[in-house]
Amino acid sequence: MRPEHWLFTIPLRLRSLFRRAHADQELDDELRDHLERASEQYVAKGMAPGEAQRRARLDLGGIEQTKEQCRDTRRVNRIQDLIQDLHFGLRILRKNPGFTSIAVLTLALAIGANTAIFSAVYAVLIKPLPFKNADRLVFILKKNAPRGWSRNPISPAEILAWRNQTEAFEDFAAYTESSCVLTGAGETEGDPCETITSNLFPLLGVAPYRGRNFTSEEDKAEVPRAVILSYGLWQRRFGGDENVTGRSITLNGVSHTVVGVMPANLSHLYASPYGSVPGMWVSGIGLAAEHTSNDYFGVARLKPGATLAQASMQMDTVSMGLEKVYPDLHGWRAQVMSFRTNSSADTRPALLVLIAATTFVLLIACANIANLLLARGAGRANEFAIRNALGASQGRLVWQLLTESAVVCLAGGIIGVLLASGLCKGLAGLAPDTLLRAAPDLAAGTTNVRVLGFAMLTLIATTFLFGLAPALQSAKPKVIETLKEAGRSSLQSPQSRRFRSALVVSEIALALVLLVGAGLMVRTLAELIHVNLGFNPKNILTVRAPLSGDRYKEPRSRAQFWEQVVARVEALPGVESASVSRGVPITGWNGQSFTTAENPNPPVGQVPDANYIIVGPDYFRTMQIPLHRGRGFNDHDTQSAERVVIVNEKLARTSWPGQDPLGKQLRVGDDAPWLSVIGVAGDVLSQGADGGIHSETYVPLGQYPWLLQGPQHLVVRTSASVKPESVIRAVVEQIHRINKDVPVTDVETMEQITLESIAQQRMVMALLVSFAGLALALSTLGIYSVLSYSTAQRTREIGVRMALGAERGSVLRLVVGRGVALAGLGLAIGIAAALLLTRLMTDLLYGVRATDPLTFVGVSAVLGASSILACYVPARRATKIDPMVALRYE
Amino acid sequence: MTKPSDLVQGTLDMLLLKILALDPMNGFAVSQRLKQMSGDVLQVSDGSLYPALHKLEQEGWITAEWKTSEYGRRAKYYSLTRLGRRQLEKEADNWGRLSSAISRVIKLKEA
Repeated sequence: MRPEHWLFTIPLRLRSLFRRAHADQELDDELRDHLERASEQYVAKGMAPGEAQRRARLDLGGIEQTKEQCRDTRRVNRIQDLIQDLHFGLRILRKNPGFTSIAVLTLALAIGANTAIFSAVYAVLIKPLPFKNADRLVFILKKNAPRGWSRNPISPAEILAWRNQTEAFEDFAAYTESSCVLTGAGETEGDPCETITSNLFPLLGVAPYRGRNFTSEEDKAEVPRAVILSYGLWQRRFGGDENVTGRSITLNGVSHTVVGVMPANLSHLYASPYGSVPGMWVSGIGLAAEHTSNDYFGVARLKPGATLAQASMQMDTVSMGLEKVYPDLHGWRAQVMSFRTNSSADTRPALLVLIAATTFVLLIACANIANLLLARGAGRANEFAIRNALGASQGRLVWQLLTESAVVCLAGGIIGVLLASGLCKGLAGLAPDTLLRAAPDLAAGTTNVRVLGFAMLTLIATTFLFGLAPALQSAKPKVIETLKEAGRSSLQSPQSRRFRSALVVSEIALALVLLVGAGLMVRTLAELIHVNLGFNPKNILTVRAPLSGDRYKEPRSRAQFWEQVVARVEALPGVESASVSRGVPITGWNGQSFTTAENPNPPVGQVPDANYIIVGPDYFRTMQIPLHRGRGFNDHDTQSAERVVIVNEKLARTSWPGQDPLGKQLRVGDDAPWLSVIGVAGDVLSQGADGGIHSETYVPLGQYPWLLQGPQHLVVRTSASVKPESVIRAVVEQIHRINKDVPVTDVETMEQITLESIAQQRMVMALLVSFAGLALALSTLGIYSVLSYSTAQRTREIGVRMALGAERGSVLRLVVGRGVALAGLGLAIGIAAALLLTRLMTDLLYGVRATDPLTFVGVSAVLGASSILACYVPARRATKIDPMVALRYE
Repeated sequence: MTKPSDLVQGTLDMLLLKILALDPMNGFAVSQRLKQMSGDVLQVSDGSLYPALHKLEQEGWITAEWKTSEYGRRAKYYSLTRLGRRQLEKEADNWGRLSSAISRVIKLKEA
């Protein structure tokens, strides 16, 4: 349209919109004027006045239809209709509080669940990472395919070789994790920290918030150390002091200069299960070509156009060269992952399963509401027929019904979004650390624009999904039939009955899939919880107390410190025993290659390895790890005594099959002294309940005083009646009595540690069980509503049958039979779908197959039983029909 | 009941524009004039007439005002706007081309 045209039309549209009553009045006047003139003309031709008026009206067609057509030309009708429909819809919904509240509540739950899970999916899988050209950033670890190991940290030799001998990278940085004990400013505290190469932050494209990055000069190990603080530590420890740069702070007893502060949102780099958000970054990484310290992580930026595959291939070539120099590295290849893959690898399968589950819940909710609407639509057939006769077109009726659906949907959506932010907080409570690290927003429960957009889209899709089919069905103009039947309840068309049956069948099928998923997770969790870990995690407290500074330079002083701690803690009331160790089960893995005296030179690539744990004398007693053979460690296992080791069953079995392991010799490293096996301990699931059994070696602390550098674990067993949490204060107090400057960190009970290790499965199980419960309730309600409705419709028919002598039993069979047929079909389809779909959750399962027959049979029985119950209620009602009443009723 | 679709698509609009181009008049008069002029060949029901008039008004081709008629009765009088006149010319041209083309085809002698 030309602008000139608008000059005419816009005022007209505005007038129609805002002066609707006036415009309508004019329309009335105009048509009345016409009728008067036309009937005058007929009278003039000699017709009786009454007849003349009738003819004039006939000429005009239906007056109301004509008026509606004239109004339709105004173009703004959509808006007016919408407002009218909204008014009308609200009135109708208010009149049916039962329907309205069920529909709104169902939708609110479904949309809330969807939105909450989508927030998590968005945060972990979609939200852009806060780095420059994040798609070119890669994370570099290593894997050993022949041995089935992946995502292992790398060594400096590999970093240097991969950095210098490949072409695919623009830049290559590395870091290693450690613990920094900060003394001086305020209370002593231990913080996770990272030693990084100076190019790490420039590579990521992250500028310091205050101060500067490290210089390449500072990468050298021998120059004075510099430190960059995290935003959190800067705020917490230094009160956001603007003059913090240039200050000198003491870390691990060494003086460091603060050169900068990083911005707050750096956590994405640390979403991998190996990382925790550090409090500070330290310079002086001093990479030297050395291949045994496998403590490093690589971060690199691909050149524009270079692919992961190219980088991977080039690095493999380099690795093959490295193998020749360092035979230990045999079979190790770089594992290059995009940042996204690295941060979401652990949570992706769980999130995908959950988003599928919430979609199912939403579909079931829609099917249910569609069913309710169809039933209502049939009841409103008269209303529609009359409105149609008065000039409302089918399209107009469909719009009106859709508006009603949209009102329900909007109400459900608003409550749903409110629910979602609550659900997000709940989710954060359930979620494993890896998920929270990848999605820091999740814990805050904040809903962002994209999540709201998703909720809106879901709403619109939902309105059409559950509103359109019923609207089209109900608004079909069957004026004559309906009005002829006036008063009698119209029978459902076979088409609409089939449609409703299809809805119920799909609800049951979807519910079955959800129930199977939930059932499998329940079985998984039961397996995980009841699995014998090989030690007793109950009543154990673990803490770390990193030692640093001049005071603990001497091995003797460190040993003394720990002896004092153990003695004091063991003397506490409620404590049964205490011991120290380097590493506790589940929290870490310190794999070392070893050789046995029988097989001192295994072929390259077949060198066995085992978890290497240094423990204090009472470790086995405290952890309650059974000693199957030989003896435990005691105070006589000192540096001057014979070197000894305790191995686990698995190592004994694989290294000396069929032989007595006691007295056998093994050594860790080529030049290390031989160790005599003095005992065989039970197997421990040291990598968590689903981590499998691995070889383990335990060596006595007394023979390795020099290894006591890093932080040590103190493990404390309380007596059965004393909660381990209750001794925390006393334990910390005892440590601080010995030295108030030693920080106490990582205070956890062993039960917390084991629960955290299965947090993902717990979260998935809790959510799937709630979704499946909702699905069960909704689908039962669905089958109930369809049957009660069709029974109500067949009252007359059933009355006739009974009048003709039908038994109550046969009436019962009639109704229940239909319900059972629907449920059976739904179950069959559901089982087939579940067999296909549950395979996708194999990654999340433990100790149970995705096609576990017990689960399938069990949930089918539950769903079948609840369906039959849902059939029985309307069926009983049918048998109570009094034939006399039924026949008079219509 | 004769629907406008019985006329060639769009011709009712053109006829109405033409009638109003000659003289502003009210709906009833338009209806009478239509019957007269077309010699009762074109059956346009009153029921189709009013929606058509309202459509032309909404397009801005005709405009309406309430006037008191010769018998002291208030009635809605339609008249052509500038835009309407232009539209009429356009449609008349189209119609001329279309009808002469059709005539040519119809008059072809069978070989």
